[in-house]
Amino acid sequence: MFDWLKPHDVLWLIPAAPLLACLWVVVVGHVVRRQYAHRPVILAIAFSAVLSYYLLLKVVPENFGTPVAHDEHAQEHKSSDHEHADHKEGDHKDHDQKVAVAKAKPSTAISVNVFGETERDGKVTPVPWIRIGDPQGVPTLLVLPTLRADAMTALMLVMVTTVSLLVAIFASSYMKGDPGYPRFFAAISAFVFSMCMLVLAGNFVLMFVFWEAVGLCSYLLIGFWFKKPSAAAAAKKAFVVNRIGDLGFILGIFMVWQTFDGSIDFDTIFGDPSVIARVVTMQPEILTTICVLLFIGAVGKSAQFPLHVWLPDAMEGPTPVSALIHAATMVTAGVYLVARCTPFFVHAPTAQLIVSGIGATTALIAAITALTQYDLKRVLAYSTVSQLGYMFMALGAAAAGKEFATLAVTFAMFHMFTHAFFKAVLFLSAGSVMHSMGDVIDMRRFSGLRKALPITHITFLAGALALAGFPLLSGFWSKDEILAIIFEATKHPKHGEFFKVILGVALLTSLMTAFYTFRAYFMTFWGPEKFPEEAGHHPHDAPPAMAIPLLLLGIAALVVGGATGPTHLYGNYLAQTPGLPAAHHHEPNVPMMIISSVLAIAGISLAYLCYVASPGISRNMKSGMSWMHTCSQEGLKLDAIYLRWIVKPLRLVAQISEFIDRWVIDVIVDCVGFLPGLFGAALRPIHNGFVQSYAMVMLIGLVVCLVTALRVLAGM
Amino acid sequence: MTSSELESQLVIGAVLFALGMIGFLTRRNLILIVLSTELMLHGVSVNLTAFGRYHGNPQGQVFTIFVLTIAACEAGLALSLILTLYQRRKSLDVYLWGNLGEDDLPVFTGGGTAQQTKPLDPNADLPHLTPAGRAPATPATKT
Repeated sequence: MFDWLKPHDVLWLIPAAPLLACLWVVVVGHVVRRQYAHRPVILAIAFSAVLSYYLLLKVVPENFGTPVAHDEHAQEHKSSDHEHADHKEGDHKDHDQKVAVAKAKPSTAISVNVFGETERDGKVTPVPWIRIGDPQGVPTLLVLPTLRADAMTALMLVMVTTVSLLVAIFASSYMKGDPGYPRFFAAISAFVFSMCMLVLAGNFVLMFVFWEAVGLCSYLLIGFWFKKPSAAAAAKKAFVVNRIGDLGFILGIFMVWQTFDGSIDFDTIFGDPSVIARVVTMQPEILTTICVLLFIGAVGKSAQFPLHVWLPDAMEGPTPVSALIHAATMVTAGVYLVARCTPFFVHAPTAQLIVSGIGATTALIAAITALTQYDLKRVLAYSTVSQLGYMFMALGAAAAGKEFATLAVTFAMFHMFTHAFFKAVLFLSAGSVMHSMGDVIDMRRFSGLRKALPITHITFLAGALALAGFPLLSGFWSKDEILAIIFEATKHPKHGEFFKVILGVALLTSLMTAFYTFRAYFMTFWGPEKFPEEAGHHPHDAPPAMAIPLLLLGIAALVVGGATGPTHLYGNYLAQTPGLPAAHHHEPNVPMMIISSVLAIAGISLAYLCYVASPGISRNMKSGMSWMHTCSQEGLKLDAIYLRWIVKPLRLVAQISEFIDRWVIDVIVDCVGFLPGLFGAALRPIHNGFVQSYAMVMLIGLVVCLVTALRVLAGM
Repeated sequence: MTSSELESQLVIGAVLFALGMIGFLTRRNLILIVLSTELMLHGVSVNLTAFGRYHGNPQGQVFTIFVLTIAACEAGLALSLILTLYQRRKSLDVYLWGNLGEDDLPVFTGGGTAQQTKPLDPNADLPHLTPAGRAPATPATKT
């Protein structure tokens, strides 16, 4: 069916469709047929989704090499051009691998340049976006708009486009009647475009551009109801906190540029292991610095401690936005970045320890906070932060040894994959609850909804079970493998103690995760039937446009993990990414599975006990340990600390600046502006309308000129 | 011609010019201002003629003829303008024409009163005799 489509055309078509949809909605859809603005967007995202599946299943596997790296028998197609400053359209094949480091797989990535000029001999020269330096020779900085796809990219694209499609379909029903309907879909479309481009970017600078772009779209969508002051403030907070992380990211890019001789392309840096090997032999510490800086960017984007404060406030946006951006796609950009830079992290164990440590801290803080939240969406937001902490814990576990790097990346990205589905279904179910309850999301105001909202109930339950890590569901497989890899890391001679602490934190957090998830579930769906006044007489369940995505995502939440995890489908596919070292074969760790199942069931039972069987317990506990309760509720006071120590001083500085600007600088400028007026007022009485005074002035002037002339003549 | 003779002739010219200048700058009557202008021109002419005689050159007198011609033309123009101005305000006072000054400055009155209009005739409502030489407007002639 797709024979006429050249493989590399798929790469630019995937982001082009949402971009065109966005432009269409902005230009035309804003005025014409406003209530149908969702159609071009959903069509475009569906198109991208289909192409992503094609990319995953046909295009990228064509470039896979043999899984066992025997160099002599591996495919040894030399590429037809060896100049590294030139990118041709088409496939690159790796050079013959004779490198001592790791037996790299001869699998490759496809790249395409977005704009290219074809010369006469059929060679395509890419049109550079940025080209600084020597115009004739090798430039100092050359940034080409290259799109690059390998196994990791394909998996991320499938996840992004599938979840985006289902969320967009949900949102077309959820947001119906909103006056900003076209603007919503334009922003969603722009977001999908930016996220696809971020994942497809072929070099660091292009990735950073779209990193910022997803931040921008997140700002637009969180502040969608901008007339509400809390939403506008939340959008601003999200953007500013993200920006702090971006500072680290861009410093990391500068260091990469500096270390790798002015190159920032993924193909150049990650494609050939000898490039990194050279840096390791010369100055290994620089890789640690680069890794830490890039990780700071990931901390900002993926809401890790200390930059996690924006994500709970981001729940001010519409619920489909929360599902799309803050559960499944944007926050995973940080994980993608760290995973993409695995060849750096492999040589920087200190950085990996930092990654793990921050991931663990975040997971714990978020889990503690989620225990006492009353807003259903906030529980889910903190849960997202916690699960992202899990992903980073896994990524950092590769400090145990180079042979674990691929496994760590695989498990982290697998958890990201399953998390996207079950978190999206949880958020969309919460949206359905909100929709039925008349936009009330405070769990204290409703309960017992399982009879009134059956579909929502089932899908929420599916998502909650997956999140809690109930045995044999998606979350179980991914979370268990993370626990297994951390357990492997505890056996490391040097860092073993550190990872024992991390493992403890991970286990405790998984218990708390199960507890708070089911606390939310029981508080919402069990207990006496109680509806708030805004719900009207009869809360109705989700209409079909909302129910079908819910059901599809619910099914995915249940089975995707089991289907792709233990069968090693996901792992084997991801291991084909060029740049990842050879995978170590890994048996499932059965004791760890049993422990995590026990913890999950224990958490669920505790929640049942506290909230269904004997509801008085939670009230008694709350009054007994009120300080812990308030501490937990306010996010361990972190928001308050930031407010007092960072935000208020900066506001003071801003007020001082405003004072100086208005009362010092403006006064000076006004004085300068006042001077010509003064000057004029001094001279104005000459013009009194009286002819004879004019004549007198002319006479005086004439006398002065004559005297001067005579003096000059006499002086001659 | 000696320079002392020249000197005394130049003094005469200077005196005429100075008087004319002072008159121009201080007089209130429009016609007298024009008169003073003419006086300045005459002073200049005397100067020209004196230098002409001193250098033994008729150029001075030739130029004086130019000046006098111009003076005549200019006097004609000035008097016609004065006539127009008089038709507006029925007065020859130059202080009446100070409206082109800046708005926030007071109009210069110079400490005297400006006669804007002629005083009203107290006998306007009494019957008047027709001036001599004209036929009176009797009902007999108005048929």
